[in-house]
Amino acid sequence: MPILNRRLWRMVAAGKGQFAALVTVVMMGVLVYISMTTAYYNLYNSQQTFYQQSRFADYFFSVVKAPQDITNRIETIPGVVAATGRIQKDVSFLRPDGGRGTLRLTSYKLPLGQQLNQPVLLSGRMFTGYSGGNPEVLVDPQFAKGLGLKLGDILDIVAEGKIVHLKIVGIATSPEFIYPMKDASSIIPLPGEFGIAMLPYNQAEQILNLQGQVNQLSLQLVPGTNEYEIKKAVDAILAPYGNLYAYPRDQQLSHVVLKTELTQLKVMSRFLPFLFFSIAAGMQFLLLGRMIRLQRSSIGIMKALGYDNRTITAHYVSYAVLVSFTGAMLGTISGIGLAVLLSDTYAQYFYLPTTIGGINYRAIVYSFMISLGVGASSGLLACRGVIKIQPAESMRAAAPVQGKHILLETIPWLWKRFNSSWKMGMRSIARNKTRFMVMVAGVSASVVLLMLGFFMQDAIDYMMEQHFEKEGRYDYLIHFSSPIRESDLGYWLQWSEVEDLEPILEVPVSVTKADSNGVKSDDDLLQGLGLDGWMQGVFSPSGIQLAIPDNGVLLSAKSSKKLKLVVGDHIKVKSKMDLGPGHTMTLKVVGISQQLMGGGSYVSLQTANRLLGESKLLTGVMVNIHPGQAAAFERRLGDLTSISSIVSRNKAESNFRTLMQSAIFTIICMVIFAGILALAIAYNASLMNFNERKNELGLLRVLGYTNAEIRGVLLKEIGLQSLIGIILGIPLGRWLANYYIATAATTDMYAMPAVIYPRTYILATVSAIVFLIAGFWLITPRLKRLDLVETLKNWD
Amino acid sequence: MDKPLLMRLENVSKQYHMGEVVVDALQPSSLDIYVGELIVVLGPSGSGKSTLLNLMGGMDRPSDGKIFFGKQDVSAADEGELTNFRRQQVGFVFQFYNLIPDLTAAENVALAASLIKEPMSVSAVLEEVGLSARAKHFPAHLSGGEQQRVSIARAIVKRPPLLLCDEPTGALDYQTGISILALLRQITSTVGSTVIIVTHNTAIAAMADRVVRMRSGIIAEVTSNDIPLAPERIEW
Ligand SMILES: Nc1ncnc2c1ncn2[C@@H]1O[C@H](COP(=O)(O)OP(=O)(O)OP(=O)(O)O)[C@@H](O)[C@H]1O
Ligand SMILES: [Mg+2]
Repeated sequence: MPILNRRLWRMVAAGKGQFAALVTVVMMGVLVYISMTTAYYNLYNSQQTFYQQSRFADYFFSVVKAPQDITNRIETIPGVVAATGRIQKDVSFLRPDGGRGTLRLTSYKLPLGQQLNQPVLLSGRMFTGYSGGNPEVLVDPQFAKGLGLKLGDILDIVAEGKIVHLKIVGIATSPEFIYPMKDASSIIPLPGEFGIAMLPYNQAEQILNLQGQVNQLSLQLVPGTNEYEIKKAVDAILAPYGNLYAYPRDQQLSHVVLKTELTQLKVMSRFLPFLFFSIAAGMQFLLLGRMIRLQRSSIGIMKALGYDNRTITAHYVSYAVLVSFTGAMLGTISGIGLAVLLSDTYAQYFYLPTTIGGINYRAIVYSFMISLGVGASSGLLACRGVIKIQPAESMRAAAPVQGKHILLETIPWLWKRFNSSWKMGMRSIARNKTRFMVMVAGVSASVVLLMLGFFMQDAIDYMMEQHFEKEGRYDYLIHFSSPIRESDLGYWLQWSEVEDLEPILEVPVSVTKADSNGVKSDDDLLQGLGLDGWMQGVFSPSGIQLAIPDNGVLLSAKSSKKLKLVVGDHIKVKSKMDLGPGHTMTLKVVGISQQLMGGGSYVSLQTANRLLGESKLLTGVMVNIHPGQAAAFERRLGDLTSISSIVSRNKAESNFRTLMQSAIFTIICMVIFAGILALAIAYNASLMNFNERKNELGLLRVLGYTNAEIRGVLLKEIGLQSLIGIILGIPLGRWLANYYIATAATTDMYAMPAVIYPRTYILATVSAIVFLIAGFWLITPRLKRLDLVETLKNWD
Repeated sequence: MDKPLLMRLENVSKQYHMGEVVVDALQPSSLDIYVGELIVVLGPSGSGKSTLLNLMGGMDRPSDGKIFFGKQDVSAADEGELTNFRRQQVGFVFQFYNLIPDLTAAENVALAASLIKEPMSVSAVLEEVGLSARAKHFPAHLSGGEQQRVSIARAIVKRPPLLLCDEPTGALDYQTGISILALLRQITSTVGSTVIIVTHNTAIAAMADRVVRMRSGIIAEVTSNDIPLAPERIEW
């Protein structure tokens, strides 16, 4: 039907703005879908390939030390495919500026062969075994970048009380170090402060004085085996060697971070397109419905001429299909662009050796299928009206729009208060319920997007505040390579830089329920703090600060969940520290603690000492210094070989801020998406409203209404719809933010609370209103061009 | 009459139900229509003229009675058959032209032409109605008479055996009205269609072969003109 096709193009041209608004919403849906699914699959695939190629382990065990051939015994356990033993230990390294950081030495046997967690070289060359010169190491790329290390540079470390010079021969990564974090409480990588050094096993045994020994075992398991049974069997074998702790891949830090990112991407890549496609469907349905109503007599003529329902329906549905097709085309092009951008960002964030690019053809095909399906089905639904049009009847003058009384009029005292433009607006809404609902849904969707965007900023601010202001109130947290006496700290107080310090004693323990014979146990970190200390804040899951108890324990939420323990229960803790035999003691649970990141169970310093059969032992110290003394203090620390790690709150904080810049990108994207949606929705609704009421508005102008007053009439209707949309959008956004946190952002490692600050509600509302008004403003030129003679002529 | 029968209406009636109220738009009426004749249907407003025309054109189905077009029982046709009937057999001309506003004159004609296998050529038809020069104009830029010519062109391009015109001159001035009627008269001879013109202008009856007079929903009288007047000589 070439004539009908030509007519189709003319309809598009006549309503360019409307067509563009519809295309934009479809385009946004496709854009988001393609970019996010592509980024997801790229990241997922390179993760999977890397894990497989490097044989990423399924389970990790740490011991004090065990003979290296222990792996042979472990490999005999049914369900264990392979076991690799290695030495891994944190040592301090000396930074060029005189400060200190933590280097995690990780050993590999040469030749690499079939070992688990193999390193992959990114640049430089592989290390060689003992060669007489300085030991050769590979470092992780973030560390190298953070410190500005180049191949051939020498890095000094302090190990076993001696300074050792390491020669950097290459940059490498492994599945464990895609996102290298020191421990669960560090939230973020600290590229200048913490790094990974990979070195040959024979070098590691020399440097760390562990000849013939290993202290870590990585296991590969038969897929689907009962991990718990295997852990029990391995624990039994390792018991004599100071079995410290064990964790499955699901608790491996780098993996957790990557997996969380993947889950978030997946959730968003489903939710956002759904939002856009739903709104697109609603808008297409509305527009076609209106078109058919307006062209009732044209349809009647076509029928009188002998066109059948199918041809006429196809004619109108093809409009929707054209919208979808154009939207899908533009969305695909821009989606591929954004996918590249996203994948690049991830490639920088996670150092994955396998390529992260690539076009996801399936996503493109799906995009076209979804958008064409949405267009065609909403078009078909809207075209049901075509069948009802009787040619004979449609020739008669179109039934005038029915003025109807609305429900609100039954409350006369209220109705009386509205002036006539309000009354017109409300009657118009009552007449166009579907349009009203689509508009409200669109506004709500924009508000939801805005809330999701702004709320991320809240989460970041909350984390900053909680982690740096409430939980950790020290300037420095220093750990020693082995426990020291409290008296050894005496002279620190004499340093002029130091304002105050508080000791900590950290003891890795296994926790069981007191009367359960240790059937189920959980690894935990018992942290002993001073009773009158204030530098480390401890919080309950509901955010209330807890005081360190004299006796008893503030049990970690993680262990309490795993072992189903509540306040009032008793637990048995067993020390796993490599100090003599494993001491045990029974403690009453007096509270449940939950820190933002990491954390553990908290007891008093005395209780922790009692567990070890000691009295004045400590493993670390929190220090506050006088203002402006950081450099001097760090120089002093640089001279101490007994320190294994230093956390500087200043550096951590600025590091965190830099890292969170990437979140700003997401927030900006969300706000742009929301803005475009609100703009398109408001423009479309205003235009439809305007077109439908052209005659009425023209008459008002003839009667002497000013342009501003006419604008007011339209604005009141849009405003009322927007208001309802915003009111509905806010609780919906809140609910979705909570849902997002619960499904995509909460892991074993950290419990992200769903905090939404009041400013988010205000920001979301204000920006929604701005975008809506902007969309409305786009139609105001039409108001000025309203042709009065024309409107009167067309009066029917 | 020696002309062959084109359409036969047997006790055809039409009622409209508007809620509780039943409107008898057409009471049982019968009429035979022959090939090539020009019938004028006269009657006051509301007498059921349009209703009768719509039933003949397959735009609507009778409440009772039968309509035969040749052998085909149009009154028993389903939706699809009615559509096809309109497509193949009927051309319509309306009082308010009812052109599709976003199609040009030629495209409005082509819209109809594209429905059948062997239509007349669009340009030839526009030539016939004297509008070749206006082919590319949109309806909004045509005068009432010109629009009505387009509407006639659109109706005859399919060479329909039956051409139904509902008040074709109702919205036109005298001169223009006459020229439209002349055009319709001419079509009965060139295209060979049977033309039925509905009007309440009694003067037009003079040009008809037969005149059907309606009053309050019933065919009151059918008369024949032995010597129909040329439209140009009609005056009102
Ligand atoms: N779709 C309809 N629903 C209800 N009543 C109708 C309908 N169509 C026609 N009628 C009624 O049927 C009667 C006949 O109408 P019709 O249109 O046939 O009259 P008409 O002779 O063509 O009048 P006019 O000269 O004004 O066009 C009128 O009373 C009209 O109100
Ligand atoms: Mg009529």
